[in-house]
Amino acid sequence: MVSPRANWKGFIKFGEVSCPVALYTAASSSERIAFNTLNRKTGNRVKREFVDSETGNPVERDDQVKGYEIDNGQYIVLEPDEVAAAVPESNKTLNIEAYIPCSQIDTTYFDKPYYLAPDKMGSDAFVLLRDGMKNEKVAAIARTVLFRRMRTLLIRPHGKGLIANTLNFDYEVRSSAKAFEDMPDLKIEGEMLELAEHIIGTKKGSFDASTFDDRYEAAVAELVKAKIEGRSLPKRKAPVASKPSDLLQALRESAGLGAKEAQPKRTAANVNKGAVRQKAAKPVAKPKAAAATRRAG
Amino acid sequence: MAVRPYWKGYLKLSLVTCPVQMMPATSENEKVRFHTLNRQTQNRVVSHYVDSVTGKEVEEEDEVKGYQRGEDEYIILEDEELENVALDSTKTIDISTFTPRDTIEWIWLDTPYYLSPNDPVGQEAFSVIRDAMQSQDMVGISRLVITRRERAVMIEPRGKGIVLWTLRYGDEVRDEETYFEGIGDEKADSDMMPLIQQLIKKQTQDWTPKLVVDPVQDRLLDIINMKKKALKKPSKSTTKAPVSSPTPHNVVNIMDALRKSVAAESRSGK
Repeated sequence: MVSPRANWKGFIKFGEVSCPVALYTAASSSERIAFNTLNRKTGNRVKREFVDSETGNPVERDDQVKGYEIDNGQYIVLEPDEVAAAVPESNKTLNIEAYIPCSQIDTTYFDKPYYLAPDKMGSDAFVLLRDGMKNEKVAAIARTVLFRRMRTLLIRPHGKGLIANTLNFDYEVRSSAKAFEDMPDLKIEGEMLELAEHIIGTKKGSFDASTFDDRYEAAVAELVKAKIEGRSLPKRKAPVASKPSDLLQALRESAGLGAKEAQPKRTAANVNKGAVRQKAAKPVAKPKAAAATRRAG
Repeated sequence: MAVRPYWKGYLKLSLVTCPVQMMPATSENEKVRFHTLNRQTQNRVVSHYVDSVTGKEVEEEDEVKGYQRGEDEYIILEDEELENVALDSTKTIDISTFTPRDTIEWIWLDTPYYLSPNDPVGQEAFSVIRDAMQSQDMVGISRLVITRRERAVMIEPRGKGIVLWTLRYGDEVRDEETYFEGIGDEKADSDMMPLIQQLIKKQTQDWTPKLVVDPVQDRLLDIINMKKKALKKPSKSTTKAPVSSPTPHNVVNIMDALRKSVAAESRSGK
């Protein structure tokens, strides 16, 4: 069997202990449906050109250079080697600076996951770090130069190995508190909460992400076919928001209660009822016995 | 601080529907931003589109999506037509399943978004869904068309709002067995476990965004500032930052190294 190619090789170091390790891409992006950009007037494909904003002449790639705007229209030019010099030289070491309780990890910082495994000889130290972190329920923070960029990584036990996740920088993650600051602080209690909990109970299942199917490409192909045949697809009914005054009733009906209530009024909330029943699409979740479990926490 | 919503639609639990908006949880806005210049003229470089046949510039309003049918045959699809694709998941996050939060492994998390009510009319319904998930320690699973793909998404309560994660497709996550098969099944040496746990405890701290500062961005800004000053004064050569490179050594006796590590941590008085 061919052993997989490592994306990075170096050392992991905790305290005075270090051991050789390798990183392997754990997830890649598969392709999405590709559209071409056309010129509506001619139906021809368009292509991108880079031109000088003043002269309008095309600019060769070699002449394109980074500029930082200081005052209106004034730029500081940074040559590629100057930008590269800002990155420290790689010491090829994932030096663990701190451990963080798993319960405190903010997943919105996650960038890309890599499998982290021992490289060649001796995995005693690796196994020790893995099981030590597992027992302490922590993940490790390390910093190193990865692919010519300085990165912070979060390292956590995963099965027999470790996963190292590159993290976004502080300025790249929006504050959730700020994102939600305009919302009123509503706390739901009593019957509404109980009904919603009951509904959740009825929809409880497991989810296997690996079996999910993307229906978008087929739906676009259907759209194209309809267009060629001169048909137009039926307009989808716009969803209707539940009125606050009908919320409790909608919850009761969703929970399977209140169905016997006098006469089912056709409220904004239960207009959607039909849509739920006729939904023929495959459910997202497959009732599978063995669901994957996160092993870090 | 109004950020234009990235997506608008509905969140739906059974018969309860509320209007919501979504924005990416990550942003490039605070990154040091460079423009592309023409080295010869120092002018900005801009990109535009030209017709591949006539070579003439194409106005933005004339740019349209084309679906390729044959080698040189395209079907034009207007955005409004694409909106009407026959999937409810373009506009509605209909929660089909709830599952305990810790059953979705982190490796499936792809891109995070912040989801919030888009209209006062939906605030209570939104809060009901959020609080019920919170009290049950559950996350919701749904489908959502986003960036021209239908994705499995996971929603979880976060403060007053909800974080929505797109989940990776099955073929995007590689099989860990391939990478971990060489590790063997033995557990760590039980004699050393107390020492490593002691070391970990001494170095365990609370999460803080200070752990993810970007020294390179700061250094780039320093270089820019130096150059800015140099514009006024005669130029000084930029010096490369000193490199701290602790040479990793292969430790033969892990036990000794661990004892040294714990002792060092104790001396530092942490």
